[in-house]
Amino acid sequence: MTPLLVAQIVLTLAVFQGLLLSAAAMVWVERRLAALLQQRLGPIRVGWQGLLQPFADVLKLMFKEELRPAAADAILFTLAPVISATAAFAAFAVVPFGAATTFFGLLDEPVSLQVADVNVAILIVFAISSMGVYGIVLAGWSSNNKYSLLGGLRASAQMISYELSYGLALAGVLLLGNSLSLTEIVNQQSGTWLGVVPRWFVFLQPLGFLIFMTAGIAETNRAPFDFPEAEQELVAGYHTEYSSMRFAMFFLAEYVNMVTVSAVAADLFLGGWHGPFLPESLGWIWFLAKVGAILFFYVWMRWTLPRYRYDQLMAFGWKVLLPVAVVNLLATGAAVLYFGL
Amino acid sequence: MTLFYVFAGVAVVTSLLVIAQRNPIYSVLLLVASFGALSGLYVLLDAPFVAAIQIIIYAGAIMVLFLFVVMLLNAPHEDTEYDERTHPLARPGPTRAGSLLAVALVVELVWALTRAGEAPSPFPEAGLSSIAAIGRALFTEYAFPFEVTSILILVAMVGAVVLARRDERARK
Amino acid sequence: MPTLTDYLVLSALLFSIGATGVFVRRNLITILLSIEIMLNAVNLTFVAFGRALGEVDGQIIVFFVITVAAAEAAVGLAIVIALFRHRESLNPDSFTMLKW
Repeated sequence: MTPLLVAQIVLTLAVFQGLLLSAAAMVWVERRLAALLQQRLGPIRVGWQGLLQPFADVLKLMFKEELRPAAADAILFTLAPVISATAAFAAFAVVPFGAATTFFGLLDEPVSLQVADVNVAILIVFAISSMGVYGIVLAGWSSNNKYSLLGGLRASAQMISYELSYGLALAGVLLLGNSLSLTEIVNQQSGTWLGVVPRWFVFLQPLGFLIFMTAGIAETNRAPFDFPEAEQELVAGYHTEYSSMRFAMFFLAEYVNMVTVSAVAADLFLGGWHGPFLPESLGWIWFLAKVGAILFFYVWMRWTLPRYRYDQLMAFGWKVLLPVAVVNLLATGAAVLYFGL
Repeated sequence: MTLFYVFAGVAVVTSLLVIAQRNPIYSVLLLVASFGALSGLYVLLDAPFVAAIQIIIYAGAIMVLFLFVVMLLNAPHEDTEYDERTHPLARPGPTRAGSLLAVALVVELVWALTRAGEAPSPFPEAGLSSIAAIGRALFTEYAFPFEVTSILILVAMVGAVVLARRDERARK
Repeated sequence: MPTLTDYLVLSALLFSIGATGVFVRRNLITILLSIEIMLNAVNLTFVAFGRALGEVDGQIIVFFVITVAAAEAAVGLAIVIALFRHRESLNPDSFTMLKW
C-alpha cells in the first residue's frame, strides 16, 4: 500500500462520512430554522440544543417495520431507494472541495481534495444526477398506489424539464472557464478584480447563477417546487408506501442531493475554496462556508415561499427559465468571442 | 483487459435479458444497465465525451421517455394468441422463423469477421481524445450535418406532439 | 489489451441480439428497445474504429446517431401511444389494416 493509495481511501471514506453527517446536520438545521421562522422552538430535548435529534430519528427508523404493499413489484420496490441514494452519493465523487494538499508533508506529491479527479467532471455530475430520476419513477410505479404513481410521474416530468435549464446554465460557466474539469474552473476563479472584487464567475454570470439555483431546487424536488411529495394533494408522493430504512434512504438522498447541488454551485460560481484572509491550505473552510450559505438559502426558501401550482411550474420551466437560459448562453458566447476572455 | 470482458459480459447479458423479458419495465431498466456497460467501454476506448453523453442522453432522457410510455400505457403483457405462460422466446410460429433469421445473421457476421484475416493489432498509443477537438470538428467540418440534425429534432418534436395528441374534433 | 477485433465481435453480438429482438418479439415497445440495442452496437463500432484510426470522426458520428435515436424514440413512442388508443394492444399483428 503506497501512501497515495491510503490517502485516496481515507479521502473516499471521509467524503462518504461527511455526506452522511451533513445530511444529519441538515435535518437538524432544517427543523430548527423552520421553528425559528415560525416562532417555535423545534427539537431541543435530545442533546445540546437538540443536536442529537437526527441520530435519534435514525435509530427510531431502524427499529420500524419494513412494510411492502402486497401488490407492489418486490424487486423494483427494493431497488428504487437504493438507486436514489447511490446516485446522490456518486455525484459528489468528482466534486473537489479544497486545494491540492500533501497532508502536512505525509505525501510526496500533492493530491487534490476530491474522490476522483476527472477531466469531464461536470458531464459526470450531470450524468449521475440524471440517473437519480429512475429511483423516484420506479418508487412511484412499483408501489402500485395512485398517489405514488402521480408523484413519480410529476417528479420525472419536472426533473427532465429543469435539467435543460440546468445544463444551459452550466454551459455558460464552461464557456468562461474553457474547461470541463471542476478543479480547473475553480482555479480560474482565484484572485481579485481591482483588488477588491473576487474573481468569481457569479459576477460574470449573475443570470446563470440564478437559473442554476432555481433549476437546482427543482432538480432536488425542494419547496417551492416540491410537487412529487406535495402533502396536501398526494399524501407523500412517491414514497407514500415506504417505511423504515427504505424511507430513510429517500430522505438521505434528498439531503445529499441538496449538498451536492450546493457544492457544485459553490465550485462553479462562487470560487470554490478561494477566498480572502485564509491561506490556500485552509481553503476548505471557505468551501464549507459557501456550501453552508447556499444550504441556508435552500431552507430559508422552503419555509418562506408557498408551493407553486403544477401547471405554473411547467410553464415557468419551459416558457421562462429555458428561453432566459438560452439568451444567457448566447450572450456569454458573444462576450467570450468579443472580449476574448 | 479484464475490464473489457466485465463490461462486454454485462452488455451482452443485459441485452439478452432485454429481449427475453416479459415485462417491458424490466426490459427498459436492463437496457439502461446495458448502456452503462457500453459507457464503460467508451471510457476504455478513450472517448469520455461519448461515454458521458451516452449516459446523459440515452440513459437519462431517451430511456426515461420509454419508461414513461410503459407506465402510462400500463400494458405490461404481450397479447398474442399463445398462452401467456409460455415464455416469449419459446413460442411457435413466426418466432421460429425469426430465430432462424437471427441465427443466420450471427453466422454471417462471424463469417465476415473471420474473413478479415489480418492479425488483430492493439490500438495505437494516443492520448485522450480532447473534447476541444470534437467541438472543433463538429462546428467546422460537420457544421452542415449538425444544423440538419437540429431541424430533424424540430420535425420529430412537432411530429410527436401531433401524433400523440388526442383528436379534439373526434371527441365532440 | 483488447484489440479492434474484440470490439467488433462484441458489436456483432449486440447487433444480432437486437435483430433477434425485432424478429422474435411481438410487443411494440420491446421492438423499439431492440432497435436501440442495434443502434448502440453500431455506435460501439464507430468509436472503436475511430480509436483505431486515431480520429475524432467516429465519435462525431455517434453524436449524430444518438440525436437520430432520440428523434426516432420520440416519434416511435408517439405512434405507439396513438396505436394503443385505437386498438388497446401493443401487438404489431393487430395493426394489419391501413384504415379503421
